[in-house]
Amino acid sequence: MLKAKSIVLALTLILLVALVGCTATTTPVATDAPATDAPATDAPATDAPATDAPAVEPSGDPVTIEWWHISTAEEHMALWQGMADAYVAEHPNVTINITVLENEAFKTKLTTVMQSGEPPDVFQSWGGGVMNQYADAGLIQDITAALDENGGEWRNTFSAGPLGVYAYGDKNYGVPWDMGMVGFWYNKKLFADAGIDAPPETWAEFLEDVQKLKDAGITPIAVAGGDKWPAHFYWTYLATRIGGQDAFVKASTCPGSFTDDPYVEAGRKLQELIALEPFQDGFLGATYGDEAGLVGDSKAAMELMGQWAPAVQNDNSASGEGIGDDLGFFLFPAVEGGAGALTDGMGGGNGFAIGKNAPPEAVDFVKFLTSQENQIALAEINVGLPVVVGSEKGVSDPNLLLVQEARDKAVYFQLYYDQYLAPATGEVIKDAVMGLFANMLTPEEVAQQLQDSFAAESCK
Amino acid sequence: MEAVHKKQEHRGSGKFGRRFLQYLVLSVFLLIILVPIVLIVFGSLKTRGEFASTPYTFPNPPRWENYERILTQPSTFVMLRNSIVVMVVSVAGTLVVSSLAAFVFARMRFRGQTMLMNIALVGLMFPMNVAILPIYLIIKEMQLTDNLWGIMLPQIAFGLAVNILILRGFFMSVPTELQDAAYIDGCSTFGFFWRILLPLARPAMSAVAVLAMLGSWNSYFLPLTILNSEKWYTLPLGTMQFVGQYGSEQNMVMAFLFLSMVPALIFYVFAERQIVSGLTAGALKG
Amino acid sequence: MSAISGHENTFMPYKSRGITRKAQDRLTILLFLLPAFIFIAIFQIYPMIRSAYFSVWEWNGLGPLETYVGLKNFTDIWSDKSFWKGLQNTSLIVVWSLTIQLPLALILALLIERDLPGRAIFRSILFVPFVLSEVIIGQIWIKMFRPDAHYGFINLILDQFGLKAQPWLGDPNQAMACAFVALSWQYFGLHMLLYIAGLQNVPQELEEAARIDGANEIQTIWNITLPMIGNAIRTSVFLSLLGSIQVFGLVWVMTRGGPIGASETLATYMYRAAFLKFSLGYGSAVAIIILVLSLVLSTVYQLAAGRHEHVGGM
Repeated sequence: MLKAKSIVLALTLILLVALVGCTATTTPVATDAPATDAPATDAPATDAPATDAPAVEPSGDPVTIEWWHISTAEEHMALWQGMADAYVAEHPNVTINITVLENEAFKTKLTTVMQSGEPPDVFQSWGGGVMNQYADAGLIQDITAALDENGGEWRNTFSAGPLGVYAYGDKNYGVPWDMGMVGFWYNKKLFADAGIDAPPETWAEFLEDVQKLKDAGITPIAVAGGDKWPAHFYWTYLATRIGGQDAFVKASTCPGSFTDDPYVEAGRKLQELIALEPFQDGFLGATYGDEAGLVGDSKAAMELMGQWAPAVQNDNSASGEGIGDDLGFFLFPAVEGGAGALTDGMGGGNGFAIGKNAPPEAVDFVKFLTSQENQIALAEINVGLPVVVGSEKGVSDPNLLLVQEARDKAVYFQLYYDQYLAPATGEVIKDAVMGLFANMLTPEEVAQQLQDSFAAESCK
Repeated sequence: MEAVHKKQEHRGSGKFGRRFLQYLVLSVFLLIILVPIVLIVFGSLKTRGEFASTPYTFPNPPRWENYERILTQPSTFVMLRNSIVVMVVSVAGTLVVSSLAAFVFARMRFRGQTMLMNIALVGLMFPMNVAILPIYLIIKEMQLTDNLWGIMLPQIAFGLAVNILILRGFFMSVPTELQDAAYIDGCSTFGFFWRILLPLARPAMSAVAVLAMLGSWNSYFLPLTILNSEKWYTLPLGTMQFVGQYGSEQNMVMAFLFLSMVPALIFYVFAERQIVSGLTAGALKG
Repeated sequence: MSAISGHENTFMPYKSRGITRKAQDRLTILLFLLPAFIFIAIFQIYPMIRSAYFSVWEWNGLGPLETYVGLKNFTDIWSDKSFWKGLQNTSLIVVWSLTIQLPLALILALLIERDLPGRAIFRSILFVPFVLSEVIIGQIWIKMFRPDAHYGFINLILDQFGLKAQPWLGDPNQAMACAFVALSWQYFGLHMLLYIAGLQNVPQELEEAARIDGANEIQTIWNITLPMIGNAIRTSVFLSLLGSIQVFGLVWVMTRGGPIGASETLATYMYRAAFLKFSLGYGSAVAIIILVLSLVLSTVYQLAAGRHEHVGGM
């Protein structure tokens, strides 16, 4: 009895071993070759048709498009789904598989999938440094030809600034569907309580107003030091105002010159603000949700943030409705003697890139997603600022209209530094600026760290 | 024995103070454990704004609709099913594979044993985060991406080290006399393992099962990387629906995580009874 | 225990079967170990070798490996202040775990294990944090530690006692300790359970005998109880050591290694390199360092613990 049992078990074990074993022995060897080498060998091959032959037309054969987006909000997700359904209805040979991922999860997952050499066909991209690395590795398609087809028919639908965010060298690797700008969102009532009649236009006025708010017992500014990126806006915007476009072009061209005056001066100006202690208690560890809640509950008078700020303030306020009509928007103040104009803008948004193995239908689908009609639909549910000319009529919120107007007026539109620069440099700049906020680094050290990282990452 | 008994009773009546102290200390710890958990429950019964602005007050009125929203989504139950499947297979796999190995390491002697044991334990020393790329490549090669097996197999592997370690300890504590007796009764080595050791080690197996179960139940990184289709999502991935690019519905995240904790707690309570059910003390004391 | 111990017995010829006991044992060893080692080889050893290979390249994880840099990643790590901060914090976690978390778990296990009415309830509830995922634990402790008395629970309590609100996670000097509180909250239930399981095997008669001999409670525990649960303690210390070296999820959720890198651990440092800075070669080098540190630490521990056959067998 016992013997029989043990024989059965032994046999099962051997079977198990054999089963697992055969897959096991083939894997390590086989995985190595195609997976790691794939980008190297395949990239030129897939790139070539995309650039040379703009006429690659959808073939009509059954194809599947893997689409990864990060719009988790119910209404927005439903809108995307509806657009996909509409596209499939017109193109019955196409199947669209949608994977919805939350922002952080998306980044984590995409990193691994990109490293394995097989990107999804259509996926969320913020443009800038990360996209450039994908382009360098041949993981995403050059869609310049598609944009320029029929005398630039598709290209001309976009506002130039936002589309430029997805250009690298003189090639386009993606298209935006939302692009906004960072500025100060402020509480008109609290400003009035502190005796401030009009929002400041210069840095000096801004500092005065901060002091007035403080004197009135109001926390002037909420900032999320724990999340870092909201805090780094201050330094980069100051640099933009002080140095203007020319300084940044010079600084971000190898060998780089981030130790130039404007980048040190930006730190000094920021120190003037920090010295006033204008931020909420414990701001170094605060999350962006904390920051938005403070403004939404009238516990802080302003925050420096992008176009999404009103929505997040509402969500994180006790009432769920934020401060309503008390909310106002003003541009980042000009710095006296700075080379940058008040109309220069810094911001960013969302867009799609197309994976190297994607079928031509994927490009066509993205074209459909960014049609004027679909852009208006997007603007109407308030989840982004449309980038296609003529779709601003979908925007109804007066504050968002202000942002949209400012964005379109910007002669020099700068993508957030942490997204524009190489990923490693983006991390360094955020950390370094936090060092300034905590009075642990000098302006010179911040500029030097940025320069060192830039030289190491981008000027090899 | 009689004397011991008397002594015990005597001490029992005299140690009221000690008992009090015991309860006092335990109650303080109970409070430390319970406060954050109660906050999670409170938070899950508030609107997003209420939770953001008054995180620790009593939910008034309680927003049961948060739970309703989760429980009326069909996807919740799809994820629940997937999580259970992944958990059952991972736990069963870990139990079988690690108990076999632990038995050999605890009860047999052979050349290279120390080295092999060290290799088995290396899994405890290597963080999975950075190993995720090679693992993903293997899973892709096995064509197990977007497949529950793609999660279960690595999970079994990553549970082995700690479970072999624990089971080996328990197996070694079983008196050798038992083994000798088994051999005299005509048991083979395998028979001893199967008929005597495993039943004895039920509490230890339960402990190992609980560890493997929790590891599987809360596993986030691996499913996120391996799975693409919502129909295969496990519960930890379900919180993604409440997290946006610029902020999250923390109240819903709390509600979802609290709900998804309930099955794990139920499993735990069952297994825990096993672990502590006298631990077959009689047989162990021999 | 007699002179004939089990281990020798396994090699005694066993004639009543067709094959010798020794041959049978060989087969048993092979068959029993094979499944485990197949899993380990595929999902642990192989990834480890791959990472070791990556670690000598400068590689952003995209495209082919082109820039062989030898040990440059390691020398760069050596000269990076953040790495040393990570190492320092990781060491702190190791030390705090051994000196605060584990003794606490042991005390609780001793308090609960006795014939205490209602002990099942204590035991279950104290274990609950270990059931929760790191995400939810991180979120809730962020709330607990919010920096003012309105939003933060702990500051509210301080306020009740007339003490000043602290910035907690917003203060570089406090953030690491806050993260450790959350870590302990999560993990001490596990260690407590290990100790409780160990205590089940301690015959109460022995302890009673010691008491009759005039030993007080502490002497009894020290001289009788603790040595008898040595195995559980060694396992728990071993797990705690290796777990502490790799602490990641909770710290990442709570502080992202901040503020200003003040709560960086080795694992957050590695994650930052591999996933945020796209330096997979560099990140792999950090992973190898973590592996080597773990090996060294566990070896030292085995030697210090003396009885090496009880833990791991190293």
